[in-house]
This record gives sequence, structure tokens and C-alpha cells, in this order.
Amino acid sequence: ATTLKISHQFPGGTIDKGDFRDRLCRMFAEEVSKRSGGEIAAEIYPNSSLIKTVAQFSAMRKGALDISLYPMPYAGGEVPETNIGLMPGLVTTYDQGLRWKNEPVGKALSDFLADKGIILLTWVWQAGGVASRSRPLVTPDDAKGMKVRGGSREMDMVLQTAGASVLSVPSNEIYTAMQTGACDAGLTSSTSLISFRLEEVAKALTSGAKASYWFMLEPLMMSKATFDKLPKNQQDVLLAVGAELEAFGRKGAQDDDIEVAKVYEKAGAKVAELDLETVNKWRDIARDTAWKDYGGKSANCAKLLKLASDVAA
Amino acid sequence: MHAPVSDSEATPTGASGPLAPLQRVISMLNSIIVVLAAIALIAACVILSYSVAGRALFKAANYWQDEAAVFLLVGATFMTAAYVQEHRGHVSIEAFVGLMSPLANKIRLWLVDVASFLFCAFFTWKSWTLTHEAWEDGQVSNSMWSPPLAIPYALMAAGMTLLCLQLLLQIVAPLTGARR
Amino acid sequence: MSVFGIGIAYGAATLFAMFAGMPIAFALGAVAVVFMAIYMPSASLDTVTQNVYEEMASITLLSIPLFILKGAAIGRSRAGQDLYSALHAWLHRVPGGLGVANVFACALFAAMAGSSPATCSAIGSAGIPEMRKRGYSGGFAAGIIAAGGTLGILLPPSITMILFAIAAEKSLGRLFLAGIGPGLLLVTLFGVYAVVRFRQEYAQAKAVYEKSGTWSDILIKDEYTMAQRFSVLPRVIPFVLLLTGVMVALYGGLATPSETAGLGGILALALIALIYGVWRPTDLAPIMRATLRESTMLMLIIGMSLLYSYVMSYLHISQSVAEYIVAMHLPRWELLFAILLMVVVLGFFLPPVSIILMTAPIILPPLRAANFDIIWFGVVMTIVMEMGLIHPPVGLNIFVIRNVAPDIPLREVIWGTLPFVLLMMAAVLLLCFVPQISTALPDLVMGPDLSR
Ligand code: NA
Ligand code: NA
Repeated sequence: ATTLKISHQFPGGTIDKGDFRDRLCRMFAEEVSKRSGGEIAAEIYPNSSLIKTVAQFSAMRKGALDISLYPMPYAGGEVPETNIGLMPGLVTTYDQGLRWKNEPVGKALSDFLADKGIILLTWVWQAGGVASRSRPLVTPDDAKGMKVRGGSREMDMVLQTAGASVLSVPSNEIYTAMQTGACDAGLTSSTSLISFRLEEVAKALTSGAKASYWFMLEPLMMSKATFDKLPKNQQDVLLAVGAELEAFGRKGAQDDDIEVAKVYEKAGAKVAELDLETVNKWRDIARDTAWKDYGGKSANCAKLLKLASDVAA
Repeated sequence: MHAPVSDSEATPTGASGPLAPLQRVISMLNSIIVVLAAIALIAACVILSYSVAGRALFKAANYWQDEAAVFLLVGATFMTAAYVQEHRGHVSIEAFVGLMSPLANKIRLWLVDVASFLFCAFFTWKSWTLTHEAWEDGQVSNSMWSPPLAIPYALMAAGMTLLCLQLLLQIVAPLTGARR
Repeated sequence: MSVFGIGIAYGAATLFAMFAGMPIAFALGAVAVVFMAIYMPSASLDTVTQNVYEEMASITLLSIPLFILKGAAIGRSRAGQDLYSALHAWLHRVPGGLGVANVFACALFAAMAGSSPATCSAIGSAGIPEMRKRGYSGGFAAGIIAAGGTLGILLPPSITMILFAIAAEKSLGRLFLAGIGPGLLLVTLFGVYAVVRFRQEYAQAKAVYEKSGTWSDILIKDEYTMAQRFSVLPRVIPFVLLLTGVMVALYGGLATPSETAGLGGILALALIALIYGVWRPTDLAPIMRATLRESTMLMLIIGMSLLYSYVMSYLHISQSVAEYIVAMHLPRWELLFAILLMVVVLGFFLPPVSIILMTAPIILPPLRAANFDIIWFGVVMTIVMEMGLIHPPVGLNIFVIRNVAPDIPLREVIWGTLPFVLLMMAAVLLLCFVPQISTALPDLVMGPDLSR
């Protein structure tokens, strides 16, 4: 039997309780083992307890790690093309994001990643929102004069153009930085907005439940080196189970979008929802800044960006 | 534990005898690096303070300061590893000193140096391959500033290389009749 | 080989390498690489350096050298001595007043720094020489600082508590508040112990003096007039400035936690330059050299311990131990005892950050099922991990002491820290019987925790 190591950076739990990304990995492990008749087993390593967060990507490429549920843009330093997985305004709804897989952009991205040694098993998109300690940050106009933690190069560009002063804070320090006021607002996924406990220090939340300019591709990925070593029937099991879990991934992410609003409301924060009109305002800024920057990086980037912007909202 | 690490910049424990000139070169290099590393440390402080002041006074964005500070500090750490080794400043547990004869102790310490060298040599090799990869692929740090990762990797690799040289000198020293 | 066998071999190899006298950093790295080569896919060897780099390239972790710089600037200039003379002038009537002052100083610094070695180094570089000058035994002086330094992760802010709160999906604010009560409890216990131990050493020195006429500095009785006491007060001003400067920057919303490390360093250098005239390169050289030696030594150990815990994690060693404990289905308190015992054993080899990352996901569910208050457990676990910082073989605070006061023999340092380990155990026990020491404050401030 083969034992696969699955690593991720999120809090660990059980198969029916906890962070949905951890649960997705556990369901994957269980289902794969069942369908392969025990031929494939998998061990889960949450919390980056196996490999450091960012390094997971390169470890998979080298074959030192088998599988990871990995925020794709984290690999942006190593493979700039992966930044397409968090391009502000490029994906605005779950429907649009999940449509990628069967459109030309999905094929192009999969081929590109396969070339880099990575296989996509489960497409997971996650919407994000903003937690702020004083006034809400909803429209680009709100950003003026705020100290905001964007969390990625592209988001920072957009925020800066909107008039915010961007701030780099490591994720484990956002809480203290917001508590003390060094940082006015932070952007991240709904799940992280909950797990970082920012509701304790935030007075306002902008939720991306209906639409958002912040969508991150966070797929279950596999090392191609490991994948290629497996017999065909096992490969098929992995791909099939991976694809089937996409529905669970979507539901998990959307449940968290709803949950985050509840949590912040309960903590006394004002909750605002993004709508498509506001999202388009952000998108307009992004097109001239982040998109342009990304498209200029390489021919591959330009091609992926073109194909992705062809996917209807 | 190992020989005292005191303020008085005493006894570097490297080679003497035929290898003395080489040790002198390394020692000199180490002294220069220590000055640069000290400057790097202060520079990191200045950069972080500047980022505080810039934000408070001009609402300036902070997008490169943290990273610049990280590079300076990583560089200072690895580049001074050899200097610390020159003065036997990497702490160890010396529980068996009293239980062994002086000769046995000498042999033990020599073997310890060899083992340390082997590990550091491996680490050095992998640091250079990492640097090479980052350089070839043009890997950058994933931020708005996006500096090449080859810079801190190269600092790590260069620092480990120096550390290997220093260890090598300390290994060869007793063989050429010098006192450890 | 079974996981159990590999685990035993891994621990044995580590002990062997360390007790053979290999520098801790290289011992951890070498053992890890050897086991990696034997038991892990060969590609893992290619990821070693990137993993170590990513571990170290975090500004949170790299604030440690900057905190050390701040400590060295004060400790190795006259600034530190002045502070201690001032504290001594005011506390000299209390037996062991200087020791108590050091415990307080550690607690104050802990409230600014998120890490224990940084706290230990900042206070130790000035505190240990001062205590020894006044006749405290080496072990006693080292023990106070090593133990006082561990408060760095118990009193907020704390790096390890941040990680625990995320792993446990618990309120960080609540966890921070929950650490304050036990932190003050430990400060009290350490302070009382300092008084008791001082009396002992004093009595011994006195007996020796009366019998053989051998003088010890501990017998010096300083007398200060009220005027003298007030005249030394201005010497404390630089520290008040430094402390308030950093506090204002942090809590006034001007600086992020890691930025305060840099700000503290600059403020400390500016203070000694302006007040003590320490600014020429020749004046600064010893400060900078000491800082670099200490921080490089420490950062390499931390970096290599990552490599070590990575292999341990891959080979499923710590997870298996945790799972084994869980599978025993122990009754409530036995379960807690077994888990804490495991944390103690891991504490022999690993720094607190690694212990939390590896074990929290596995031990938390059964603790929850057994109806333990997870916030309370986080505090108890933190204290147990603090013990690991001051006992060998890998005790980061002991290494800091080794650098600050290299002439105190290791044996004395260890014997000096032992009573503090016992005090911490007592505190854990007390917390089991009176959990309110920890939970009262967060309940008062944030209301009762309903999300068990
Ligand atoms: Na602290
Ligand atoms: Na320990």
C-alpha cells in the first residue's frame, strides 16, 4: 500500500468538525482509502506541522511532499503565474470561479502547473472580506487614509491606488496590530477572519457572501512526481475523489461566508455586504494596476489573464 | 559546556602553525563581517523605526521595510556563524569532560568537530543549490517589493561556507600540532 | 522499524550527539538529516535549506536579535548598573531585594516581548553581574533570570499563545488575559523564593565568616538615607522613557509588534548615546559583538530545531505519542497528566513553538471531550513548556545564561534553575485546584466563555 502525506497550514480537527479545509483533506483520505480497497492510505499534517506554509509548493514539485491544500498565490514568488489565483476582481462569485475548470483557462492553468510538477485534484475557491477596527471598508472611496493589510502584492497595489496606506503584517500579528491600531483593516478569507478572532477587535465587517473582489484559489494539489509513480487505477481514484469533493469545498467556503457575518454580528460589529456594483468599482482599479502588472510578467501570465477574464461572471 | 565566551575577545581557537596564515585571513574576514553585521542589525532597527515614523507622519505605505529587515537579520545571522564558531560560541553540553582522560577528551572534541563539519557541509551544499535554483528561475519574494530570493539564500550559503572553512581549520589544527 | 522504534532511536541519537558535546544547533540538524536520509524520500533532503530559511525569515522570530540588542545596549553599558543600584537603594531592606527586583524586571520586559529567550537576555546581561557582585551565588542568580525569562511567553504578548489560540480556535484576547493571573502567581512565587534563598545564602555566609573569617559580599549591609534614595531616582528615568516609548508606540497604534522590536533597539541605543555618551564605534563594539554572538547562536538553534521537528513530524513520532495517549481512553485527570507529561518530555528537545504546532491538533479534541476549559489548558501548557526552557538538554534560556555569564558552571546553572522548575510545577498544581487564578480575569473582562 502507498501512504500519502497530506499537509496544510490550517487548524486540525476531525472529519466532521473543524476547519472545512482540514475536513476536506480528511474526507479525501478516507474516501481514497475506501475506493482503492486500502491500497492508498493518507496521513494529514495540519498547521504546517510537516512543512512550512510557503515551502509546501516547492516540496511538492520536488516530490518531498505528496499532497497539500495550498493557497495557490503563495507560490507567486517561485512561479509568478500562480498569482492568478488571487487577482482582485478577476473572480467575483463562486459560480464564476468554479466555471474555470471546464473553460479554456482551467485547461491552460492545469497544463501549466503540470509542467511545473503539480496536479490539481480539487478546485476550491474562497471568498474574502474585510475586518476593520473603526469605520467599514466597503467601497474604494472608504480606503482613503486607512492603514490596511492587503496580504498580497496585487491587493496592496489596488488598495494603494484607492488611497490606503498598505501595511505588511505577518498573519499571526494582525490581531495585535488591529488591537493597538497599528492596522485599521485587514483583508483575508472568511475562514481566516473567523480563525484569527479579529471580531474581538473589529467594529465592522465587509462580507463577500454575495460577491467579492477577493477570491482565492486554494486547491487540493498533488505532486506530479508522486502521482506519476502510481498505477493508472489509483490515479483515477485520486482524480475522481478530488473532483467529487469540489461540491463540499464550495459549500464549506460559503458556509463560512455566512458564519463570519454571524460571528461578527454577535460580537457587536457592523456587517455590510459587497454587491456586484461595488465589486466592479474595485475591479476597475484592479484592471489598471494589478492585472496590468501581472499580465506584463510573462507570456503565460498574459495568456492566463486573457482566458480568465473571458469567463463570464 | 564549551570554553567561555567572554567579552575580552580572547583566544580564537583556530589553527596555528602552518595553517596560521589561513586562520588569520579567516579571522580578518570574520572581523570585517562582524562590523557589517552590526551595521545590518542597526540598519534593521532604523528601517523598522522609519516604517513607524513614516506611517505616523506621512501615512507612507510599509511594503518593503519588514522584508528588508528580514534580509538584513538573516544575513547577519548566517554570516556571523563562522565568527561565533571561531570563538566556540555555539553552545554545547559538556557533561563528560570530567569523566574522560585529557586524551580521550581531545579525541572526542575532534570527532565532534568533524561531525559538525559534515552536517554544515551538507547544509552549505543544499544552500548553494537553493540559491542557484532561485537565481535560475528568477524567484522573488511574493510581495509588492518583490526582491529576488537569491539574495538572502546567497547570504545563507556564503555564511555556511565560511562556517565550514572555520570548522575545517579547527579540525586540521590539532593534526598539525596546534593546541585546541 | 516501527514508529515507536524510530522514535526511541531518534531520541537516543539526539541525546548521544548532544552529550558527546556537539554544539546544540549542529546536533539537532545532523541527527535530523541522518534520519531523513534513512527514513524519508530522498527528495526531502533537497527541501532542508528552504524549510530552515522559511522558518527563520519571519519578522516575528527575527525580532529576537533586536530584543537582544536592546538588552545588550542596556546591560552592557552603565545604564544597567545604574538601574540596579537604584532598585537596590529602594529594595535593600527587603532581604534578597535585588533578586526580587530582577524578577520584577523580567516580568516587565516579558510584558513587552513575545519570546522567552529575548526576555532572559535583556534582563540577564545586566542582572546577573549585579547580583553576583553583591554576593549571590552563581546558581541563584542564573536561576532567577532563567526562570524570570520564561515569563516572556506567559505574560502577553506571547508568540506561542498566538499559535495556540489559532490551533485551538479560541479567543486570543481571552488567552492573553488568562495568562496574566498565573504570570503574577509565578512572579510572586519566584519573588518569595528569592527572599527565602537569599536568607539561606546569607545565613551560610555569615556562619562561614564567624567561623573562619572568610568574607562574602552578600554580607554587605548597605545603608541609604532617604536623600540618597531619591538622588538615585533620576537614573531610572532612561528606563521609564524606554519602556513608555515602546509601550506608547505599541498600544498607541503607531507600531506593529515586530516594529516595536526595532524601535526598542533604536531607543535603547539613543538613550545610552545621549545619557552615557556611549556612541563611538569602540564603545559600541562590545555591545554589538555580544548581541551578534548571542543572537546567531540562538537563531541557529531555533532554525535547526525546525529541521529536527520536521523530521519528527514526518516520521509521525510526536503524533503517534499523542495518539497513543488519546487511545488509552484515560479518565479525565489522568488524561491531563499524561498529556502534560508528554509536553514535558517533548520539552527536553523542542522549543515551545514546535511543541504546539505538532501536538495541539491531536491533544485538543480529547481534552475538549473530557470537558476541560481549553483556555485554561493553554495557560497550563504554556507553564509546562516554560519548564522546558530551563531544563536540559535543550533549554533556550539556559543557553542565553551561558552566553551572558559564561563563568557560571553548567552544573550550577541547572541546580539553580531546578527550584524554579518545582515552583512552576506547584503553580500548575495550584491551577488545577483553583482554575480561577487564570479564568477569573478573562471572565471578568470578556464575560464567561460559552464556546467550550
Ligand atoms: Na510576553
Ligand atoms: Na528543555
